[in-house]
Amino acid sequence: MFDLLPHLLNGLTLGLLFALIALGFMLIVGLMEQINLAHGSLFALGAYFAMQLMGSRPPFPAELAKAWLALPLGWRYAATLVIAPVAVGIVGTAIEFCMRRTYGKDPLYGLLLTFGAAMVIEETIRLVWGTRDYVLQVPQAVSGGFLFGDLIWSTYRFYAAGISVAIIGMVWLVIEKTSFGATVKAGAHDSEIVRALGINLTRLRLLVFVLGTMLAAIAGIIVAPIWGIRPHMGVDAVIPAFLVIVLGGVGSFWGAIVAGLLVGLCVGLSGAYASEWSLLSMYILLVAVVTVRARGLWGKKSVLEA
Amino acid sequence: MTTSPQPSSDATRLVTPAMLVLWLVLATVPLWIARVGLYPYLGIEILIWSLYALAFNLVLGTAGLPSFGHGAYFGIGAYAFGLCQFNVVANLWVCLVAAFAVAGLAGALVALFISHRRGIYYAFMTIAFGQIFWTLAIKSHGITGGEDGLLKIARLPADFGVARFDLSDNVAFYYFVLVLFALAVVAMWRLTHSPYGRIVAAIKQSETRAAHLGYNVWLYKASIFTLSAAISGLAGGLFAMAQLAAFPDVMSLHQSGYVVMMTLVGGGLVSFWGPVVGVFVFLIARDVIGALTNAWMLYFGLLFIAIVLFRPEGIAGAVSAAFQKHSLIRRQGNSAMRLLFGGERWR
Repeated sequence: MFDLLPHLLNGLTLGLLFALIALGFMLIVGLMEQINLAHGSLFALGAYFAMQLMGSRPPFPAELAKAWLALPLGWRYAATLVIAPVAVGIVGTAIEFCMRRTYGKDPLYGLLLTFGAAMVIEETIRLVWGTRDYVLQVPQAVSGGFLFGDLIWSTYRFYAAGISVAIIGMVWLVIEKTSFGATVKAGAHDSEIVRALGINLTRLRLLVFVLGTMLAAIAGIIVAPIWGIRPHMGVDAVIPAFLVIVLGGVGSFWGAIVAGLLVGLCVGLSGAYASEWSLLSMYILLVAVVTVRARGLWGKKSVLEA
Repeated sequence: MTTSPQPSSDATRLVTPAMLVLWLVLATVPLWIARVGLYPYLGIEILIWSLYALAFNLVLGTAGLPSFGHGAYFGIGAYAFGLCQFNVVANLWVCLVAAFAVAGLAGALVALFISHRRGIYYAFMTIAFGQIFWTLAIKSHGITGGEDGLLKIARLPADFGVARFDLSDNVAFYYFVLVLFALAVVAMWRLTHSPYGRIVAAIKQSETRAAHLGYNVWLYKASIFTLSAAISGLAGGLFAMAQLAAFPDVMSLHQSGYVVMMTLVGGGLVSFWGPVVGVFVFLIARDVIGALTNAWMLYFGLLFIAIVLFRPEGIAGAVSAAFQKHSLIRRQGNSAMRLLFGGERWR
């Protein structure tokens, strides 16, 4: 049993990361019934922005750059966790302004639009940063490792898992416990009534979309030190995100979280025994579940499957 | 849709005037393609991808099923062609049939799992299966050569008993592909305009309605998917001949996405010829813009966004709308888009 424990823990932390990656995607699918295929590219963009901010040449005017570099690494990291998602949020705003034209039509329009946006963002990343791999610097406090039970554990993995739990909790609070969340959910359920109540649905949708893209960026920053930063990371993220949503069921918050953990455990455990095939395991898991349960684990009826 | 479009007289023909014109134009391609700065191999590529895109459009355009992992069947066809050549018999016809049959078999297997799904779940199941096949191709080094691909596939001579043609030359191979392409076009044209094709199109409009009319929706969805996979596999076999190798790359999600883009940019949802138009635009843009800048995907992505936003019926749709002043085509285009995910969702 103890042999298995590291793999289980590894799988669980991985699962929390998958849940975090899927979070922004889920928000947009669940509340707007739109599939944001640019999610992965925005995830990558967040990581690249963070890398640029944490690197030796921050994208600021000379004076500000000097002051920025004088800050301790921890402070810079904390600030980056805010600035990079905001920058990605601006890109998200631009996408939403295009996507607006597709509301009320078939969701396929939005899916294709964001597929195009993903291509454009990925190519832009290649143009600006090239195809080489980058490493994201993190503060000493969360890097390195520690000894426990004769095994070396990576501190960062636990930090990342902790952050994931915190962010998942925050998003849950916002959706379930605030009037903003209630309005947004009502808007997804019956947009006509919400509009008739005098609520500016256009702004509400923009907010939800931007929030989703910012969550993608945060996930990118958190995952980057583990997976590395390269142009392809977007695709590596959007597929598991999509998979987690379909597995958990469209429109189910806890479905997505449980699915994320399941996928993580599946990949982690199969990675321990057959590392070559570990990526295959999540697809087999999905096929097995969706063959039996048409809408994933706890999916609701949605226009996406009409 | 309240009014069904009047079937044009072309729908009943075996060979339409449009086909004849296209074939004639394509037959002259080797005579001038080098003079406009392109090369004969591009012609082969366009024909093979056109065949693939037309096969794909049976699923996306005719049946309205969002399949986003179609590259798998194209790749399986390519591998089947190579493996049959190495391990079974080095005969062109046998190997092409193998490419068709093995890809069809893979398609049938997948269809078993996905044909009672719809919309996003259907789309993602096709992606998942595509990724499974892709991973298998990459990881089974012993069989497929892994990431290096299956190399040294030969262009076997076309043996007709009375005559034997060597296809190692690009121009000869181009004409061989053109003949197969022409035959496949006739077959697919007849299929989409047959009673069977009509029912498949009805399922696209409303699965529920088709089921209530007594049609076995599952069977139609499974069979059209299988057939599309098989023809994609045939195209893949030809691609293996063209490249003299089979690579896992064509099975990746990106490549599967390209065929969706080609089909939609061309206007596959409203026109039988849409996918062919899309392939032309895509591959020629790749070569022309690609010669000027490395970031051609950036510009193509922007073009794609513009098309989705302003001309969702694609190039073929825009052209025919411009030709026929009345709005029938456009109406068809919009309803095709609206109904792609299955229909009756506007309560």
